[in-house]
Amino acid sequence: MNEQITEKNINESYDVVIIGAGNGGLVAAARLSMKGAKVLLLEQHNLPGGFASSFVRGRFEFETSLHELCDFGPSTNKGGVRILFEDKLNLDCEFLEVPEAFRLILTDPGENVDVVMPFGIENFLNAIEKEVPGCRESVKKFFDLGKDILNATSYIGASRGNPDQNVLLKEHANFLRTTAYTVDEVQDALNIPEKARKILNAYWVYLGIPTSRLNFTIYAVMVYLYIIRKAYIPKYRSHGYTTALDAKIREFGGKIEYNTRVTKILVENGKVVGVKTSNGDKIKTNYVICNASPTLAYNKLICPKSEVPEIAYKEVNARAHAVTSVVVYLGLDKSAEELDLKDYSYFVFNNMNTDELYNSLNELKAPKVQATICLNTAIPNCSPPGTCILSITTAFRPGVWDNVQPEEYVKVKNKIAEALINHFEIGTGISIREHIEEIEVATPQTFARFTGTYGGIVYGYEPDPWDSFIPRLMAMNDEKHIEGLEFCGGFGKRCHGYSSSLKDGETAGLLTLQDLIKKGLIK
Amino acid sequence: MSKEENEKLDIVIKSNSRDLLAFMKLVPNRKKKIEKASSEPIKSDPMNELAKRLHPRRQFLVISEIRDETKSAKTFRLEPHIGLRTKELAYFRPGQYLSLKVNVNGVEITRPYSIASSPKDAQNGFYEITIRKEEHGFLTQYIWDNWNVDTVLESSGPEGFFYYEPLRDLKQIVGISGGSGITPFRSMAKAIIEGIIDAKLIILYGSSEEDDIIYYDEFKELEKKYPDKLKVVNILSCEIISLEGCETGFITGEIIEKYCDVNNSTFFICGPQVMYDFVEKELKIFKLPHKRIRREAFGEIKNIINYPGFPKDVAEKTFKIKTHIGNIMKEIPARATESVLVAMERANLAPPSKCRSGECGFCRSLLISGKIYISPISDWRREADKKFNYFHPCYSFPISDLEVKVPRHTKK
Repeated sequence: MNEQITEKNINESYDVVIIGAGNGGLVAAARLSMKGAKVLLLEQHNLPGGFASSFVRGRFEFETSLHELCDFGPSTNKGGVRILFEDKLNLDCEFLEVPEAFRLILTDPGENVDVVMPFGIENFLNAIEKEVPGCRESVKKFFDLGKDILNATSYIGASRGNPDQNVLLKEHANFLRTTAYTVDEVQDALNIPEKARKILNAYWVYLGIPTSRLNFTIYAVMVYLYIIRKAYIPKYRSHGYTTALDAKIREFGGKIEYNTRVTKILVENGKVVGVKTSNGDKIKTNYVICNASPTLAYNKLICPKSEVPEIAYKEVNARAHAVTSVVVYLGLDKSAEELDLKDYSYFVFNNMNTDELYNSLNELKAPKVQATICLNTAIPNCSPPGTCILSITTAFRPGVWDNVQPEEYVKVKNKIAEALINHFEIGTGISIREHIEEIEVATPQTFARFTGTYGGIVYGYEPDPWDSFIPRLMAMNDEKHIEGLEFCGGFGKRCHGYSSSLKDGETAGLLTLQDLIKKGLIK
Repeated sequence: MSKEENEKLDIVIKSNSRDLLAFMKLVPNRKKKIEKASSEPIKSDPMNELAKRLHPRRQFLVISEIRDETKSAKTFRLEPHIGLRTKELAYFRPGQYLSLKVNVNGVEITRPYSIASSPKDAQNGFYEITIRKEEHGFLTQYIWDNWNVDTVLESSGPEGFFYYEPLRDLKQIVGISGGSGITPFRSMAKAIIEGIIDAKLIILYGSSEEDDIIYYDEFKELEKKYPDKLKVVNILSCEIISLEGCETGFITGEIIEKYCDVNNSTFFICGPQVMYDFVEKELKIFKLPHKRIRREAFGEIKNIINYPGFPKDVAEKTFKIKTHIGNIMKEIPARATESVLVAMERANLAPPSKCRSGECGFCRSLLISGKIYISPISDWRREADKKFNYFHPCYSFPISDLEVKVPRHTKK
């Protein structure tokens, strides 16, 4: 008989413990370990990435949640994410360009919108002018504002959060004057014709709240970055770059433990002192970077509860939790060409009344919204010859799935999946149902299962003007309640989305690093 | 606002002063909003609760009944162990399996067993699994010697993708099975009869002797009661047959065509490896599209030497694997013909595993150095995992000394 080996617990102390190997946590761990900090990254799943992952069914490897990466850019016009991956981290991964900005299809009778929009400001303006004669000038102003805002945020970033008020007033007045407003308010002022707004606002689903509430600043920057820098997708799915990040962290001397869920963030007298895990580890640290949401951290992780100040609960409760998803992953047994799937990104909505669309996310039936990706049009060989991968994504408000019982779960999700497939078929006139070789339907439950996210939420907090990235950054120091605890990721300072989460991980790493240096803990 | 195209854009939303004031008030208003909010902690998270109910990390089960099915097969009824805080059994899709953790004489291993009972039975408090005793199987011998009523077992949640999917499959299902590969089809048959699955099932069941046919009487009765939903055809490879309505020989294309509408059916195959090899060849003549043939994972590879490209010259060798798992590092011996997973289990490292077929990826580990053999026909790794030297130990064989890093097994 073999001797019984009891698994030893991790009980060393670390400069920084990072909770969750999602986009934010991975980047924070990579940047900190690169700078010489002793880093431990803990992940409850057995893979890196969180939402940024992939899975295999039969002959297909599906992208889990990324539609298109913003702010990556071509090598001649590098965006923040490419600079981070290539120049700062020298990451071993490949990205491919997405062929067009999007195709927008509105399916309600009388809508008659089916347009393919290109990348590049000029191309985009030409295309939208063709659809809506006379809109060019007002739409151009929208992009001009996007550029102004981007410049302003770069300036604020460079000032490390202490911008000179005079410089802001003099050089970034457009930014100041629009930041408290919604998309609708600014587009009203710009006099953009209604039909042009329908096209211009197709990307609203990536932030997930109606344009009557969606903060203009974040939307304008996102659209501007997509159009000037194009969109990219990792060749080997998101698992490609998250695995590359994992390799980098280890190369830099960081330690990663999978299948290890943090159950407690230990706090004493308002300061982080350590974490406890599901595997019985008790690890000493004075710094935690939390890729899990403040909602989870304050309500569940921080121990003892008396260390959570009342204001922290209020912050969580004041904010609105953004949407969760249903994704229908389809491996089809015909190629994209054979099926006439020419485009990469299909926004198929009933109409462009985003209030109506958003309200449709509140019922347990197929919403009037879908964002569908045909991966092969960007990555031709991502599936075997004669096949292609199509994934249909829709959203739900948190809570909608709360009363679904285990025994009805498959029926509920399949009914919604079927309606989404139908909607795509009606919108495009392309029949896909009979070509399904593999199908998987992920729901809020699935996302809760694999990431532990509160409510199965895929995004973060809703970016209303008061809770968009500018006020979040401005209130950052006031809203730091526990010394040594920093948040990052989709619920972080830059709002949700892949590029925001990645960059937020970098910021969280940097802030922690500054503190470590200030305290003389690392050089 | 200027209308000249070349002039610098100077936007005003309400008025210059109101816009700036709105900016200045962003943070104060945010504070007010937060101050007004409730300070009640959030106590419930129904989605994570549902995730735990559908996919518990583990379930503690207790054997409540053991039935002899044939001279070599037993059915075990498993109920939740309330004392170990398994309050209910996870619901599942017929065709899914449980990965049972078994401690065989001090060595902890896992085995996947298809659930043979219906999902409704799980709601009523039990699962059933049927196990066939293998002639030289050290595990089944252990089970025969040690599993009794009241024995406590640790299981995973329901796992696997071998199930009927109405959005993909045709309503006529043909289950092709051999030996204990019949078990998932008992679950499917019951679910069809109970109305949980809206489909029809024809089972072509290959056995070597009459005595080996599992569920014979039960299926006969169900067929009689539900002739429009279920049909079972036994195909026997022995020479003397006394049972009526059996076919002889193997599950050939001819037999398949005799009982099934080949082009209007979805085939599900589950059985021993030799049966797969045979049936796949037979099905080839029908030139069915990929999507019409679903295969259950093979399970443990027992004859790796016969796999194409396996280096026969190392077959007799035993290598060393330097294994990092959590904070432990241990050097363990490993035979070339046994999977890396089995070597780690023998060394009692309790590595994570579920499907033991290369498919689920739960044992995904990092190959730091050395060479492994992975069968090209059962390599379900992600592309990036291949690039970064990750592998699935359950379907990988050491062909040199290795150094590997294995994730710890989740405890809770």
